[in-house]
Amino acid sequence: MKFPLAGALLALAIAALPADADDARPWQEQVLDGYHAFDPTAADTPKALATLIERGERLFKGKFVIEEGAGRPEATQAIIPTKRRRPAAESHQRLSGPDANSCQGCHFDPVLGAGAPFSSNAFVSEGFDAADFDTTDPQFSNERNSIALQGAGLVELLAREMTADLHRQRREALRTARRTRDPFRQALSSKGVSFGEITASPDGRIDLTKIEGIDSDLVIRPFSHKGVIVSLRQFAVNALNSHVGIEADERFGARWTGTADFDGDGREDEIGPGDISALVAFKATRPAPTRKTDLPEDWQQAAASGEALFSQIGCASCHIPALPLDSAVFEDPGPLDTAGTLRRAEVERPIRFDLAEFPWAKGLERDDRGRLLVPLFGDLKRHQISDTRNERLGNELIAQRFVDRDVFMTAELWGVGSTAPYGHRGDLTTLDEVILAHAGEATDARKAYTALQDADRQTIIAFLRSLEIAE
Amino acid sequence: MTRAVILSGVFLAALSLGSPAFAQESSIAPVPHFHEEALSAGISHQYAGPWEYFVGGGVAIFDCDGDRRPDLFLAGGIEKATLYRNRSAAGGALRFEETDTGIEQDRLLKITGAYPLDIDNDGIKDLAVLRVGENLLLKGKGDCRFEEANRAFAFNGGSAWSTAFAATFEKDAPYPTLAFGNYVDRSAPGAPWGTCHDNVLLRPKKAEAPDYSEPQLLNPGYCSLSMLFTDWNRSGEPALRISNDRQYYRGGEEQLWAVNPGRPARPYRRGDGWRHVKIFGMGIASADLNGDGFPEYALTSMGDTKLQTLDQESEEQFPIYRDIAYDLGATAHRPYTGDDTRPSTGWHAEFKDVNNDTLLDLFIAKGNVEAMPDFAGFDPDNLLIQQWNGKFVEEGMEAGLALDRKGRGGGIADLNMDGLPDIVVNNRGGPASLFRNLGAGTAERPVPLGNWLAVELFQKGANRDAIGAQINVKLGNQTLTRDVMIGGGHASGQIGFIPFGTGVAERAQIRVRWPDGDWSHPYRVFTNNFVRIERGAPDAEYWYPPEEE
Repeated sequence: MKFPLAGALLALAIAALPADADDARPWQEQVLDGYHAFDPTAADTPKALATLIERGERLFKGKFVIEEGAGRPEATQAIIPTKRRRPAAESHQRLSGPDANSCQGCHFDPVLGAGAPFSSNAFVSEGFDAADFDTTDPQFSNERNSIALQGAGLVELLAREMTADLHRQRREALRTARRTRDPFRQALSSKGVSFGEITASPDGRIDLTKIEGIDSDLVIRPFSHKGVIVSLRQFAVNALNSHVGIEADERFGARWTGTADFDGDGREDEIGPGDISALVAFKATRPAPTRKTDLPEDWQQAAASGEALFSQIGCASCHIPALPLDSAVFEDPGPLDTAGTLRRAEVERPIRFDLAEFPWAKGLERDDRGRLLVPLFGDLKRHQISDTRNERLGNELIAQRFVDRDVFMTAELWGVGSTAPYGHRGDLTTLDEVILAHAGEATDARKAYTALQDADRQTIIAFLRSLEIAE
Repeated sequence: MTRAVILSGVFLAALSLGSPAFAQESSIAPVPHFHEEALSAGISHQYAGPWEYFVGGGVAIFDCDGDRRPDLFLAGGIEKATLYRNRSAAGGALRFEETDTGIEQDRLLKITGAYPLDIDNDGIKDLAVLRVGENLLLKGKGDCRFEEANRAFAFNGGSAWSTAFAATFEKDAPYPTLAFGNYVDRSAPGAPWGTCHDNVLLRPKKAEAPDYSEPQLLNPGYCSLSMLFTDWNRSGEPALRISNDRQYYRGGEEQLWAVNPGRPARPYRRGDGWRHVKIFGMGIASADLNGDGFPEYALTSMGDTKLQTLDQESEEQFPIYRDIAYDLGATAHRPYTGDDTRPSTGWHAEFKDVNNDTLLDLFIAKGNVEAMPDFAGFDPDNLLIQQWNGKFVEEGMEAGLALDRKGRGGGIADLNMDGLPDIVVNNRGGPASLFRNLGAGTAERPVPLGNWLAVELFQKGANRDAIGAQINVKLGNQTLTRDVMIGGGHASGQIGFIPFGTGVAERAQIRVRWPDGDWSHPYRVFTNNFVRIERGAPDAEYWYPPEEE
């Protein structure tokens, strides 16, 4: 987005550009083909949507080069545009980044868009005070294994609907408190997941001391191990800057920084909102993980037993097998993004496509109300997963974006059979290891798992290994 | 053709649409659009009267009924001052309803301005009312009702022509220290030339109730039109800065008074480092623009606006200022549109981040005194948008503020609680202006700009609203600072949520330096929220505005 003063004119002018097509060579190394403004019609027809996704895939796979802005010599990896104290010595650096050439570099195993093994881990840090860290010392950053994006569109839609439920409950509590002039206590829950409770005061204040597993603004941020990213769009803008040094105009452009070249690499307006939308469309439409269908009979039987045990011993209380989704229509931009990521209010209408229309979604079950059942094995809620007796999953020193070091978003287990290694660092090599690492709020479930006979534990592994990302 | 060439063409087209009277740079920072909607909002008011009301015309912005929505008290001069209760729904069009104050009608006449504050620490905002004649302290009783409290507070309202006010809580004082600024002493021989009234400092006695029975005259007075208690050197003891009108004083200047607890106030003199500055001082705005910890001051005048910064070479105890208005493009010395090239006349000034990009902008209410022939007749209000290089760019025209009205007092506050600061201006001899901030959108479809926070402080006992506190909001490596003050502007003050534009930050950490100097721990908050911080509380609270009118 450019200057609102001449926003409309500007958008038209930019959209009309040939996107440097005349300069294109068949052998060119650049990924980007010019600046693409936001186009609300980009998915209006099946053909247009296919083109948008195809472009997103090309951007996702493309290895960005210096001529189009790869690298950020004067900017840090921070989510708020932040200048380095001194220019970077190297264009790429595996610790504070840029630590990748493409999105695919960390999202490829076992298929494009999925996760990656330990070798592709990233180091996350806000990059405000220690932008140039060149050590794996955990006081400077947290190490992260990448997460598969399969089914991410459905996950974002679930989070949007759940956030809307919680905000509606907050609104109703405030109305009641104002009307009755008495404090009003309201349980917070959505899709069967409890997020604690709030108390609304007659004067409009909210007591948040009893909320659970969610940020104080009651927004579910479904992405990242910590649950701190609200949308695929925000994720794209954050990651492009942090990992490849491509700065999105909608956050790093002149509107919010005063310069079109914030990272000082001589390239202005490196990526426009149209290309971010293409990346969003590609990510949002990654097929949801499935279950293996060609299992030998002994595995089938073990998996069935394991699935039942998984629920019996309490795993399913957080790794909820499926959450119902009212509408699978994905809109970009979404309703929850804030300034720095293109917002719904800033466009005439969002790009819109229905995930239920994709062949991979046809096989998903529906409940008796016709709602799509999203088999994510998660609750989109944060939990304390580590304690003093078992710190395996709390083995870092710094909190991340207000989330304590021992608190993480419940990992969605769909596809877990295809996404070894495990844990937020990807340093747990087997499913048994990661289950045994559970502590904190998951202590009882882990103890129940430990108390099982070995054969029963194996059925749970068999079950989890049956949840796959189809290749 | 490259994109850059096309872009520059678009900008040229955009500039020519604005038709400015002289070439000027356009803002790179976003320019909010404002919609003037006083009448449709239910506000029909003007500030009027003869010579005594050429100055004044203030607005008090505060919550008079406990719903936290900012209500408006507008001075009327010879017309009745009016209190408007805010009925705006969150994010909607502005709606106000005239409401009865409970004060006798004749006491609501001859009012030049007003400042809200909680004098008696009962949690209900009171009003210090400036008049041509006896000033008033109005005790808030709740539900927008007031009662005169001059007698109850042992306050002698005098008979001067009052045009300025400021308040502070001195160390360990149970009630606020008040300062009233006075203009011309019309009864003095030779008036109006060289006959400025003394100003008055009122310190509370330690008593069960506010007792202001022992005033100190601040002599000499130089026809003050704005005053502000400001901790200019971060000593923890605010001094009283007074802006004076050279039109009537003889041998006068801008003033700074040391107000050390337990000692009589005394003016800084040349030997203290204070430099002689002589302007038609009309209004003071204060903010730390360069992040050095010390406030800068915008001083409105006829012609150039001054923008003073503490000289880097000066030692801590010396208030030596230099003017950086020209360097930063903030002189606002003549109308930015129209054919009138005569100097303009500035009144109320206020720093607020109107586009929520983290950079403070400067609003100046403008308008000819009455029919001053050497000054611009058409003199629209200014909106100086701060850029990332620290300079200001005038965008009043683009913002929709360029009305042919004679601005006087005013204020910037989020009247419909959508995070976008709105503007109210009390105009002389014309309708009050109420500008709704639409962000990047239209009246039908407002579009937000940057993220934002609004912070309300509370502490128990005296000084519940933490006047004198400093709020720091940390966004990544950037720290935004605001002082909680009562005073300044032109006869206009406000109390309520302190707004911060937070740009693209989704999260922020807030620290408060409470008035006694104690620092709070950091409070972690999400932006785009109204935040209430109670001293000692482990967490900040969020407040949500009513969604219905």
